[in-house]
Amino acid sequence: MEIKTGEYNVWNEGSIIHYEGTLRLSGTDAYQPILDLMQKVLADKPENIVLDLTQLEFLNSSGINLLAKFTIELRKHPDLPVKVLGSTKIPWQSKSLPNLQKLHKGVELVIV
Amino acid sequence: MNQFGDTERNNGPTAFAMRIMISDGPLGVSWQHASETCEFLGDVFALRHAKDGADYTDARHSIIYLVNELLENAIKFRVPGSISVDCSLEGGNFELTVSNDTAPAVAGSFQTLIKEIISRDPGELLIERIEANAVDENSSGSGLGLLTLMNDYGARLGWDFRSSTSGSAVTLSTHAALTLN
Repeated sequence: MEIKTGEYNVWNEGSIIHYEGTLRLSGTDAYQPILDLMQKVLADKPENIVLDLTQLEFLNSSGINLLAKFTIELRKHPDLPVKVLGSTKIPWQSKSLPNLQKLHKGVELVIV
Repeated sequence: MNQFGDTERNNGPTAFAMRIMISDGPLGVSWQHASETCEFLGDVFALRHAKDGADYTDARHSIIYLVNELLENAIKFRVPGSISVDCSLEGGNFELTVSNDTAPAVAGSFQTLIKEIISRDPGELLIERIEANAVDENSSGSGLGLLTLMNDYGARLGWDFRSSTSGSAVTLSTHAALTLN
């Protein structure tokens, strides 16, 4: 599955979901197709799940809310290993991604 | 006039400053204007800031994030009319004021939200609001952008509401200040 536009791309390779570009959509409805893709990966009952944000230059607060909502959904699967990959070169990730761990202690956050 | 939060401005008349007016227009076009405006201001002010050897990437990102969030709110909640964006930088202190007209009922409910935001610890309230939004399908996540700015970026925010000079609307000015690294 993939969502491709001129500004951002979201796609999955098995249970790894990749995000790339600039995501600045206008709200919950606009983010729904991306949430659908994420939920589809979860519905396939993967052995683990990885959110690879290392190429996501910008994410507005509506987008951060999307990640948070999905993280809360992941809590319902306490045995599912969850890894969130970030980059130290992209400032929003070090600032905002630690909030995901506050929502779900099982999230392994790797920012390199 | 009703004031909330931190509305004090510290940058003086000799600060590096800029004003941009965003004209009225359809949501999609305005959204694009907001995107271009925040990128432009991020570039210009971060370059200025980096002249003193500071971190360009971090400053640019923080400015873009701040301007974008406040412009998104202004576009979503304005009545037809322009949005003014005033920025200044002095000694690493970046100040921003975004002003637009809004409907009185919208201004009223926003004031209720602001009172809650400024009376609580932003980190705690952010997590609480995210949890509440997750169980409410219809929630738009209101306030999350402001709480993210306060908690994750250390932004100091303030608001003033006054009668608009044109018609029955309310003019809302949102003030923000950031200490750039």
